[in-house]
Amino acid sequence: MDEIVNICGLQPEGFVKIDISSDPNYVFKNDLNYAARQLFDGEGNTVFVNSYMECQHYVLGGWNYTPLKNSEILLQENLLYVVIALMVVTFFKNTAKRLFFK
Amino acid sequence: MKITKITTVVLLLLVVVIPWFNIDTGNDYSIPKVSQEDTSFYEVYPCKISLTEFILSNPESIYQNHFYFRPDNRSSIKCFGRVSGVTVLQKGLETQFFISIGTSSLINLLLQGLIWMVLFTLIPKNKELETSKETLRYKNLIIFLISYLLTFSIYAESRFYEKNMYLLDFQEMKSYLLIYLIFILLVKNFVEIFVSRSENLVNYSPYIYLITGLFSGFNLSFLAIVFLYYGLHSYLTGVKNQMFNYAYLIISVWWLFNSRGSAFFNVGKLRGFTSSIFEFNANLYWILFTYLLIKGIWRIYSLNKKSFNLSTFTKNLSITSTLLLIIGTLSANFPIFNFFSYYFLGLQRYGVESKAPFAFSQDVYELKISWRGIFPSSETIGEFYGLCILFLLFHIINSSKISPLNYIGIFASSLGLYFSDNRTSIVLIFLSTLIYVSIKSGMSLKLVKLKYVGLVALTLSAILIFAIQSSSFLDSYKFMSDAIISKAYIFKKEYAISSFTSLISGLESSSASSTVFGFISVVGYLLNRSEMWGIFVARYNPTYSELLFGSGPLNFGQLYGEVPVNSPDSFLLPHSSILSYLVFIGLIPLVILLIVFLKDLYTNRDNLEFLIFSIFIFTNIFKNDSMNYLSPFVLYATFYLLVKNKKDLISSKKSFIEQ
Repeated sequence: MDEIVNICGLQPEGFVKIDISSDPNYVFKNDLNYAARQLFDGEGNTVFVNSYMECQHYVLGGWNYTPLKNSEILLQENLLYVVIALMVVTFFKNTAKRLFFK
Repeated sequence: MKITKITTVVLLLLVVVIPWFNIDTGNDYSIPKVSQEDTSFYEVYPCKISLTEFILSNPESIYQNHFYFRPDNRSSIKCFGRVSGVTVLQKGLETQFFISIGTSSLINLLLQGLIWMVLFTLIPKNKELETSKETLRYKNLIIFLISYLLTFSIYAESRFYEKNMYLLDFQEMKSYLLIYLIFILLVKNFVEIFVSRSENLVNYSPYIYLITGLFSGFNLSFLAIVFLYYGLHSYLTGVKNQMFNYAYLIISVWWLFNSRGSAFFNVGKLRGFTSSIFEFNANLYWILFTYLLIKGIWRIYSLNKKSFNLSTFTKNLSITSTLLLIIGTLSANFPIFNFFSYYFLGLQRYGVESKAPFAFSQDVYELKISWRGIFPSSETIGEFYGLCILFLLFHIINSSKISPLNYIGIFASSLGLYFSDNRTSIVLIFLSTLIYVSIKSGMSLKLVKLKYVGLVALTLSAILIFAIQSSSFLDSYKFMSDAIISKAYIFKKEYAISSFTSLISGLESSSASSTVFGFISVVGYLLNRSEMWGIFVARYNPTYSELLFGSGPLNFGQLYGEVPVNSPDSFLLPHSSILSYLVFIGLIPLVILLIVFLKDLYTNRDNLEFLIFSIFIFTNIFKNDSMNYLSPFVLYATFYLLVKNKKDLISSKKSFIEQ
């Protein structure tokens, strides 16, 4: 719930949630009072939403990434690879030491 | 050998310097000076300017005391070494600038770990590599287990870490995998380093006061890995101390069974050696940690006691006390140095900001204001300086070859002790030296008459303490024996009374327990502890079983989370390690420990150095929170074992092997 507030803003007064998943042909209506927002998914794809309902729908569907979050997750993954690489280096260094220097 | 050391120092310098040059090469910013009126640049461009660029644009931030550099552990990896924000605060007439520097917790693990490992390599290696073979048994298993234990601590204290990690989902296994792998890498490399230097661990133990080794953003000490390793090694290789193992197992079951509810504790200056939450998982972690720590200290001592070298140890005591004083002074005078010392030494608390270690209070009492340097507690560092002075003095008295470094150490320790204003240590040093010199010179007293000496010393101390607090003469014993409970009544809230307050106030005045508590209260009054111990009584709310067996080691969650008190604004510890350990392990184990201590005193009554050092340590921990910090815990335990098991450690020319 906090995440929706962070990304889509506060829920408009009188907002009624509709179960859109039961209607695959549903077309979102633009809300002129709602400032359009750009959403991102985990793969960096982007979409613009023009109403609170559309925003909420996308966020709940996994479009809850921000460029900052994406970049941090990418950096964490890179860090993981660096750590694994360092572990491999350590392993080979120790093995070499054991085999050739004793 | 020299080339290796030079390479180490160069590598260390590179690792220390490079991260703060994390410049955003994609943009060319015109960096303005921070001012009271305008910090908008840093609001618009967070994490864009490196610390170096900031300092070049604001060179006065290096030395002006109204700048405060603070690590921002909850920042992005990309932000490491950059300014993540600037806050302006007005405190009286002074405008303070708080500059947050991005120090991502995950990077801290690797960077700080690397720095401390490189520093550790400066310790000389074992003379015979063969000796370390025994300690290599189960090495890989232990590495995996320690890494797992450390990762488990993150899980157990996730509420603490949520505030210190940026975008790391604690519900996801992936996050723990990353941390686990980092720990494996660190522990693996660190084990290789310290196992090959095991002989010198005791000789270099004083440095634990200088390099506390706390990861920024973590409630973990890097140096604890050494003790965890040897603790686990001792357990796996079946080193016999069955009595301790069984007793600890039984009491642990009780602690875990009792770990119900949840009470958060703001670790503050105890970071790295206290639990941030009173919960089952956190309690389990700290139970295992304490067990392995105790076993580890014992194991390190027993494996390496033969390698103890008096001159190296005294040299290291001298260097540590001198460096503590120098770094403390630099930290107090240069804000940027304050930040770097906090980060690179892994301190529990920022170095003191007061530039005036000689200062006295401006009120009518004109008391000396204690100055702690970079250590979190002025009293505890005072104890360390006191211990250094005693050790160095005894060494100088007994040795014909004295290095100039020892004199520097004495000077630095004396100055540090005066700055810290630990008057108990000052009095104890005076009395101890007097007794030691008298007995050693054989002029007036023989060691066999030590019980009389002890009695005289005790009487003299009591008179001296009375003299210091001259108004005490006028107070009746009754007043003093009620001092703690009356303070407890002042600090308790109307609607919440702790079970310990009820228990003590309900004691009949004629009962033995009332007499004992009354005596403790008198001692507390004379030591100026009535207020602190009164607050403790007002807070401490154990069940009957908790009073007897405690609620788990290194866990203050219950004490500070259960009963609210009208306490002063600042966070106050119980000001007695005995009271802290009463919360942790309860009355029965505490009494057993006291009996063991008294038995040790009696058995070693002809070991003067043991008597002096153990009484010095005991008196200090009785009135101070020393044992709530890792450094004193380790050093005191090692010291105790050293002086207990070798008669005339300082004065004897014989080594451990010869004895």
